[in-house]
Order: sequence, then structure tokens, then C-alpha cells
Amino acid sequence: MSSEQTLSADVVIVGSGVAGSSIANELARAGISVIVLEAGPRVDRQHFVENFRNLENKPSYQGPFPAVPWARHPPNQMTPNEYLHTTGPDAEAYQQVYLRMMGGTTWHWAGCAWRYLPSDFELRSRYGQGRDWALKYDDLEPFYYQAEVMMGVCGPDPAKEDLGSPRKQPYPMDALPISYAAQQFRKLISEKTPLRVVHEPQARNTRPYDNRPTCEGHNNCMPICPIGAMYNGSYSVYHAEAAGAQFVPNAVVYKIERDDANKRVTAVHYFDPDKGSHRVTGKYFVIAAHCIETAKLLLVSADDKSPDGVANSSGHVGRNMMDHTGVQVTFISGDEALWPGRGPLETNVIDNFRDGDWRSERGAYLVHMVDDNQVDLATSLAISKGYVGKELEEQIRYLASHTVRLFSHNEGLADPENRLTLSKTYKDILGIPHPEVYYKLPEYTVKSCDHTRGLFKDLIGLMHGRDEQWTPGYFPQDHPAGSTIMGVDPKDSVVDGECRTHDHENLFIASSSVFSSVGTGNITLTVAALALRVADTLKKELTHA
Amino acid sequence: MAAERYSFPVDVHHSSPNGMRMNRMLRMSRRDVLLAGMGAAVVSVTAHAAEPPEASAPGVADAAQFLTLSLRLTDRETLSPAIGNALYARIVQAVPERKEQISRLHALLQQKHFESAQALAKAAEQADPVFKNVIHDIMTGWYRGVAAQKVVVYRSALMFDITKDAVYPKTYATGGPFYWTSKPPEVPLPTGEPGLSPSKFVVEPT
Repeated sequence: MSSEQTLSADVVIVGSGVAGSSIANELARAGISVIVLEAGPRVDRQHFVENFRNLENKPSYQGPFPAVPWARHPPNQMTPNEYLHTTGPDAEAYQQVYLRMMGGTTWHWAGCAWRYLPSDFELRSRYGQGRDWALKYDDLEPFYYQAEVMMGVCGPDPAKEDLGSPRKQPYPMDALPISYAAQQFRKLISEKTPLRVVHEPQARNTRPYDNRPTCEGHNNCMPICPIGAMYNGSYSVYHAEAAGAQFVPNAVVYKIERDDANKRVTAVHYFDPDKGSHRVTGKYFVIAAHCIETAKLLLVSADDKSPDGVANSSGHVGRNMMDHTGVQVTFISGDEALWPGRGPLETNVIDNFRDGDWRSERGAYLVHMVDDNQVDLATSLAISKGYVGKELEEQIRYLASHTVRLFSHNEGLADPENRLTLSKTYKDILGIPHPEVYYKLPEYTVKSCDHTRGLFKDLIGLMHGRDEQWTPGYFPQDHPAGSTIMGVDPKDSVVDGECRTHDHENLFIASSSVFSSVGTGNITLTVAALALRVADTLKKELTHA
Repeated sequence: MAAERYSFPVDVHHSSPNGMRMNRMLRMSRRDVLLAGMGAAVVSVTAHAAEPPEASAPGVADAAQFLTLSLRLTDRETLSPAIGNALYARIVQAVPERKEQISRLHALLQQKHFESAQALAKAAEQADPVFKNVIHDIMTGWYRGVAAQKVVVYRSALMFDITKDAVYPKTYATGGPFYWTSKPPEVPLPTGEPGLSPSKFVVEPT
């Protein structure tokens, strides 16, 4: 059932999320032919908004995005899971979710657009932990800015609030004014602790930008911004298409074909939903299919020439799985009403523990006070406590206005034992194995989480909190990284500092899978910056060829 | 340790990832939560239309009884009959015993004057423990807009009516850019008592 017509382009990209679509946009604008193969369907925003409104379990941020059978994604963060199977002592801490559909997982990100700190790229040489990247912050700085312009990132003036990542340009948009709740939190932290609360840089419009409107504070960044005031990958898809890039939905790539010398990739093969197979040839290939799916595809492509998987002479494909592990507590403030849920979800951060000499001992972290509307939760709680009528309404108002939730991103660490493999038990309808991840939390991360719990206890005390409920154990923040790790030595890494695979000269990877450390800030801006850097490399090579 | 306490907010952590191993079967049954085309068509379904023929005997609850009960249990003087009909239809469709139970609870309401929702709830739970579940369904229906794990109304749920001076239903904000910087209303610590005994609270997984 193979396609008679072989598709071909200068550059073939697998995955249409932020990474794949932004590369496609850059290349297409430079006159380079591009085909992007997306495993999932193409769905428009209004369907997700409608799904959300009709969803009973509103906090389920995968809920509005049902998977298609030929491109399944994890339905939720439940262990055991129907798709991403996790094992090991901390299996639940790696139960990530993501989306397989046109535009990628940023459909339900919260828009947090952090640059990494210079030290994040030099964890080994500065602190003797984990790994160094095969590039420095300064190498990425221009591409960070390019990514900020592409997405439309708002952030504070470095002269007033330096976030620790040196900038040559101001943020494209002014910082988002923070909510009353965040203002009060910021004031408290400033007056009662040596810490500080900063404006979180966000890919969210504080003025009309890129033909998208100003944020109106629908408080629904996750799972779906109803008006497109927050950037997501779909906008790069639209721009790339307008520039001439071709996007193919429902194209599940299952094989990476190489030449006889196993040095160059010659084609990728994909299944359509009926399992018809198609071959797509090109000069360059970019795998930009999310950390989990990228490693899965390289492993699935194993054959006689590469029995352990494509680009895997090091044996490190699928290893070094990292994440921002989370600590979370919810409590009732004894102070004045804060009414969380006015404005965007995540706007403010305690950033004091993003870096310090103690990183030689324990991982870094940042803290969010979540500005999430708590009315539905308050209502469910008040009903379960037995309130009815007038007393129920009083309880709902009180709980909705006084509930505070803190959570953290705690730094993971590259450990080859934390490993993604192909499931021997589960396959999808196309016969492609599900991914499986063994995960044991690094001691480095555990120590970081312990420190966070101490901080949270202090903050609860400062807010005269009561009835605190700690999320048990450790939970995933859906920021997976490391599965095709970057390094200078081909013996212990998969890609070089350009995100080019050591094994195949025309195969690049654009994903958090190349991260050598995971830092503390949300990963997406760094993914986009790396992707734009890949685009820059490809443009140079194709133009000079 | 806080984790061992069962005062409010009981098991809030279940709203978070690791809580998801709880209640797996329930979660699975909630996978299909879309009510495409919800609205006029469903609202127009009356209790009688939804009843099987043999269930229309005298004494069986209907949507009017449901609405009467709802007015008392919300301490309100008006409620939308259209929403009441839709909630009732969904509740008795999902749990057929509720029809008879609602009828009996309505009969209890008629026996004497209950001056508040709380008074009725206390008397009801004492009369028959199953009434606690019936009242939970009624409260969940009106305040969350949800019946038997389905969204019957979203924006019109009463929880948004009573908080509209401070927050908007997600996806329906109308305050304009940066409305969130202003000071929201203060809320005094409530002193009222519950009408029913507490229940274990399980927030669904993310």
C-alpha cells in the first residue's frame, strides 16, 4: 500500500510543535523547500475551547485534546498509563503528558518563557554535577532573542529586575502587570523574607502583537487560551505555511532510512492512518518530535546497520531522562482575600534558588504561586463538607478567595540509568511500540525538593495558613529532557553543539531531548532558541551548497 | 503531619498528578465528558418526556418537585426552570433510583415548614442517609452545573453567580486587559454550619 509518489524537499522535519514549525518558518522564508510531517491531526482552537467548556474535570489539561488512535499521547498523568509506561522506584515522578497534534504541546503550556541561566549550561564545570552542554549561553543568546520575538514574550526591564540571563535587547513587550494576589504575595516576600518575587517572562501579549490580541485574563492559559493572546506552535505553523512550507498531518514517521555508509539519512517513512506507507526524501532531516517521541523514533528505526537505533552509536539514545520534578502544597490563607484566578495562570516566581554555590550539593528550583481560579475546587470541597444553601455560598466565596497553591520546578540531573525504551508489551494500532521509561529520582533532585518543602512551610506560616495539603511524593512538570543528550564526545552523547547527530551528518534534532541539564525555567523558550539555531545552520549549509 | 489531617481541604492533592491512581474506574467512566449540542435541545427535555411510561405513576418525582426542592436547598427564591429540567433529566437518567428518592425528599419537604436549606438537609439525612447523596447531586447540579459527571451548564452554574464580583468563569473574562490588578472584594470568615455530615472528597486527576 505504498505511496507511488515520493515526497521530497530540501529539509524534512518530523514534528510540528514549536521546534519543527519555527524551523519550517525560517527555512521557508529563506526560499528553502520544507515538508513537515505531523503524526497527529490538525484541529482548530475553537474545538479545544468547546471541549474545555464541556469538560467536567476542568483541571485535566489533556482533557480537551483527545488523541487519535494512530498517534496516541498520554491521556493523563496516571500511573499505570495507557500510553507512556513508567517503571522504577519513582515511576510516578515521570508520568509526563504531551500532545501529538499540529502545533504540539504548547497548545496547553502556560506561556512561561524563561531563558536558562549561563550556569545552567556549565553545571559540570561550575558545580561538579551532571553535564555541561556543548554550547554556552552566549552562543544561544541571539537565538533566545529571536525566539522571544517570534513568540512575543513580555518581561521586565533588566535594569529594574534582572532575571540573571544577560540580554542584549529588551523584551519585545513590557512585563505583564501582575494580579492583586501576586502583588500581595510579592509584598509579603519582600517585607518578611530575604527572597524576591519577579515578573515571569511570558509568551503572552501585553499589547496587540503578531496579529493576536492583548491578554484579557481568561485564566485558562492551560489548557487553552480562548483568544490566542498566548503564543503557541500553531502560529508558527500558520506563518510557515504562508511562507510556503508544506505540513502533512496524520503522518506517523516510523523509519529513518540511511545510505549504505550509514552516514547520511536518505529518507523518512511514514504511515498514514490506514497504515499506507509513504517515503519522503530530502537533503537534511530534523527530528523535532518532543523528547519522548524523538527518542522513540530513533529506537524504532533500528535495523541491521544500526541495531541499537539510529544515531545511537553512543548507546545514549533514550538515556539521561530529566524533568523538573515538582513539590506542591495547597492551603487556606489566614490573611486578606486574594481571589486567585484573576488574570493569567502563572505570572510570578520566587527565583532566588535558581542558582548558587549549593548547586554542588543539591538541585536548583523556582517557585510559582499559581494564580488559578479556585471557584470550582472550592465548590466541590464545600459540598463535600456538607454545606447547603446560604452557608454553602459563604463557604464557596471564602475558599475561592483564600486558597493558595505553591509549586516548584526542581532541577533533575542527567543519569544514564534513567532510560526510555520501547515497550515489549504495548503497541499502537500501527504496530509501533509504546514508550516506556525507567525513572529513579536523582538524590540531587530529592535534596532540592526537601529544601523546597522547608521554604513552603515557612511561607504557609507567613500567610497564617491552615489546612495545608501536600501533594504526596514527587510529580512531573511535563518538561522532559535529555533523551538525545548533547555533548562534545560522540562516545557519550547523541548530538553535538549544533544539535547535529554525531552519527549522521545531515540529521539534526530540535527538542528538549538534546538538553544536557534541565535548569529550572520552563523549557520551551530554550527549545525554540535551539531550533532557530538549527534553522540558521541549515540555511547557511543549504545556501552555500 | 498535614497529610494525615482530614479537615478541609480534604485530599486536595488528588487534583494533582500522583493522586490519579485513585478512583481509576471512575476516571475511565469520565473519559467521554462532551455534551456536544448541549443547550436548547436538552433543556427542552421535560421530566415527563424522559420518563419511561411505567414510571409516570402518581407520587413519582418530576422536574417540578425537583425545582421546589432546589429552591429550598439553595435558600433561593428563584432558579431557572430550564436548567432545573436539564439537571433533573440528567440525574435520573444516570441514576434511576434518584427519581423515587427525589419524590420522597419532596414529600419530606411538604410535611412541615423548613426555614432553611440547612434545616431540611439535617432532617433529611436523619430520615434516610441516602438523602445525603440526593442533596449532593442537587447541590453539585446547581452550583457546579454538573450532573452525573456531565456538564449540564457551565457559565450559568451558581458558583459563578456568587463570585462574579471577583472572578470570571474561565474562558469568559470580560474585565478587559489588566482588570486583575485591582483589589477584589474582601470576604469574611464564614460562621455557618454544614447541613450534612462531611464526605470524603476526591478531586479528579489531571
